[in-house]
Amino acid sequence: MEHLSEASKVKNKHRDMLMESFFKKNSILVNGMVITPVAAFANTLENAVTLSVSFSIITLFTLLFSSFVPKRVVYAIRIIIYTVIGSLIYVVAAILLNHLMPDKIADMGIYFPLLIINSLIVSRSEVIFSRERRSVVLIDIIFCILGYAIVVLLFGVIREILGSGGIGNHVLAVPVIYPVFRTTFGGFLLLGMFAALYRAVLLFVKRLKETGVK
Amino acid sequence: MNFIIQIITVTFFQNAVFSRALGASALPQISRNKKNLAGFFLSMTYIMTVTGFICFFIDRLWEVKGFEQVFLPMVYILVLGLVYIATLLCLWRFMYKTFRKMRKYIHISAFNGAVLGSVLLNHELCDTLGQYIALSIGIGCGFSLAVYLVSTAYDKLYSEDAPYLFRGYPLLLIYVGILGMAFFGFTGHQIRI
Repeated sequence: MEHLSEASKVKNKHRDMLMESFFKKNSILVNGMVITPVAAFANTLENAVTLSVSFSIITLFTLLFSSFVPKRVVYAIRIIIYTVIGSLIYVVAAILLNHLMPDKIADMGIYFPLLIINSLIVSRSEVIFSRERRSVVLIDIIFCILGYAIVVLLFGVIREILGSGGIGNHVLAVPVIYPVFRTTFGGFLLLGMFAALYRAVLLFVKRLKETGVK
Repeated sequence: MNFIIQIITVTFFQNAVFSRALGASALPQISRNKKNLAGFFLSMTYIMTVTGFICFFIDRLWEVKGFEQVFLPMVYILVLGLVYIATLLCLWRFMYKTFRKMRKYIHISAFNGAVLGSVLLNHELCDTLGQYIALSIGIGCGFSLAVYLVSTAYDKLYSEDAPYLFRGYPLLLIYVGILGMAFFGFTGHQIRI
């Protein structure tokens, strides 16, 4: 019985951890990670899809292989190893994505190779790898990436609607168009509003839970 | 003269953070600690300039064609790693006090989007050694200017007086966006009559 409760404790702990990666500590809207390509590039749904796919491939595999880097290696060397692993993964990702979506990858310009040095890689590998099993870490990374990708896609859609009055070739009946949201600073402004709105959602969920308990 | 004009242009008119969002993720973390701003500025600009200097010769020696392009970031990262390690070793050997002060943040000044971004932009936009160095210094100065501007407002952005929903990170992004808008004005634009 004691063994069972211990197992359920571990299960709950892992569930909380995954919820945190995906929802409570969303990498963009709460932790402010990897916002460079979001502010500068994700101004249409198509760009957002390109960013989500390239980010997911590079981050997932870089973190996976980085988990094999021994902790006894000094930090100064470890951080170089992480980025070198990232650049190796980038080679594979670039070949693959250049084959699948050559025009979109070309549009991404320097923001594609910049994903090699993304803050999520360093922070996740440093925080989690020392404490958790590799399988748990892998699921955590997937949730974290999923949280990132969903926000980027949503952000891309809303930014495109606000900035261009439609999505792709479909024109929507938007009363006012704000081309400013297509720019980098417009991206920062909208991202700031998204982060505030997200905090409101988190607060609402928290209050809902509290009242539910009562 | 062109060299200085290029540095000013990159610092103000094509600011690394406000125009290209380079290193934006590192901005909140760096601007929090006001004591280290000068050291951070120097170390980052130094790393960018030395890496840019070495990468100029790599670009001249290795004319990248088609498929080889995918290996370029790896080469740049190896150069960046070597510059970082060499700097740490030199500081540790000859300026131990400075090493102790800088070791907490030197990794952020080497491994952030602005540094790799400067090297990649060098490859895309520059032809001469002077242009490589000017762009690197300009991006370093531009990033440091952004960090300084954010650090001056940091306490207010994270103040208890700010509404809870906007306090801290959301307000910081909006502040960077407003600054970006102001910097965008530097480039000038025609008004349609």
